[in-house]
Amino acid sequence: MTPFIRFFTEVGKLRKVPRRGGVLIGSKSPSSITDHLFRVALMALVFGREKKGNLNMTKVLEMALVHDLCELYTGDKSPYDHNSILPGDKKKWPELFDRWPRLTTSEKKRKSLQKYKSEGAALDKLLKGLPPDIKGEIKNSWAEYEKGLTKEARFMKQINRLETLLGALEYGREEKIRVYKSWWVGSKERIDDPTLIKFMDSLAKEFPAKD
Amino acid sequence: MTNQGNIFLTKEGRTRLEREFAELLRLKVFKTSGESPRIFHSEDINPEFLAFQEDMDLLDARIIELEAILKSAQLIKPPPKDQQNLISLGAKVIIEIDGEEDEFEIIGSLEASPSLGKISNECPVGKNLLGHKVGDEVVVGTNPKIVYKIKKIKY
Repeated sequence: MTPFIRFFTEVGKLRKVPRRGGVLIGSKSPSSITDHLFRVALMALVFGREKKGNLNMTKVLEMALVHDLCELYTGDKSPYDHNSILPGDKKKWPELFDRWPRLTTSEKKRKSLQKYKSEGAALDKLLKGLPPDIKGEIKNSWAEYEKGLTKEARFMKQINRLETLLGALEYGREEKIRVYKSWWVGSKERIDDPTLIKFMDSLAKEFPAKD
Repeated sequence: MTNQGNIFLTKEGRTRLEREFAELLRLKVFKTSGESPRIFHSEDINPEFLAFQEDMDLLDARIIELEAILKSAQLIKPPPKDQQNLISLGAKVIIEIDGEEDEFEIIGSLEASPSLGKISNECPVGKNLLGHKVGDEVVVGTNPKIVYKIKKIKY
């Protein structure tokens, strides 16, 4: 098998890797990592154009496509997976999902570093054998996204959050699963781009909360 | 994003960007002379530097961006003593939400990193917390309603 065939075959498997959030709330058909990447890329294309040349769209779309490739080996992790805070009794989970998991400052740093290291190693495994220039381009794009140092990376992180929120709202509508407050809390602490805030506000109107 | 046209940086953030700016200028000189700078041997290297090694346009774009940021950014300074009971840019705030405590630092969008507790002053939570004092309950959104109780403010 050539390195390219191996790479694309491995990436194809992401179609069968479910998003963790959907699994945790009990969705019967949780979206896959591929579903997520596809819609993140589309959202980035649509909302990125509204920035009127303020963003390097090639970088944005590259990040959209590659930011979760590593999850083929690490799996998708939810904020509730850190420190194994989920109780064994699944009946107690809904109460937990209404609250965004809060960590101390040192725990936040440790978690962030752990994530960066494990995902970086997973990506190295996936990219193994590819020509150095392609490998470097994908790894750089992922690292730029993870570190959030550029305007493109910060925009993409917010798009990622928004797509996740939309997915949660769809589970609520299509599968009658309660939309937990934490989906909103996480979004309102993270999204600061005016275009994306406007879209988030329109989602709140379209999908009213049912307590 | 720097949405409102105002760029705010902490002292540490400004130092980091100044260092990056200086390193990129040095890199540009190396690139034009065909040498490989020592910086590429560091494990802490900003990933963008690697891309810059290959792409001159990207390097120039980043240099221009950093120059513009450093030229127009305002440094976040602690407010006068008599106003330190209120949340403003640069405040470290302990809040309580749904019975749990968390610590936020309210900073400009450019340095925001919510997973590390650095909250942008332009996101709905950061924006709503500004101007409040200890004991206040700040409501963010109506659908659903999210309530943050302010427990402590420090600078």
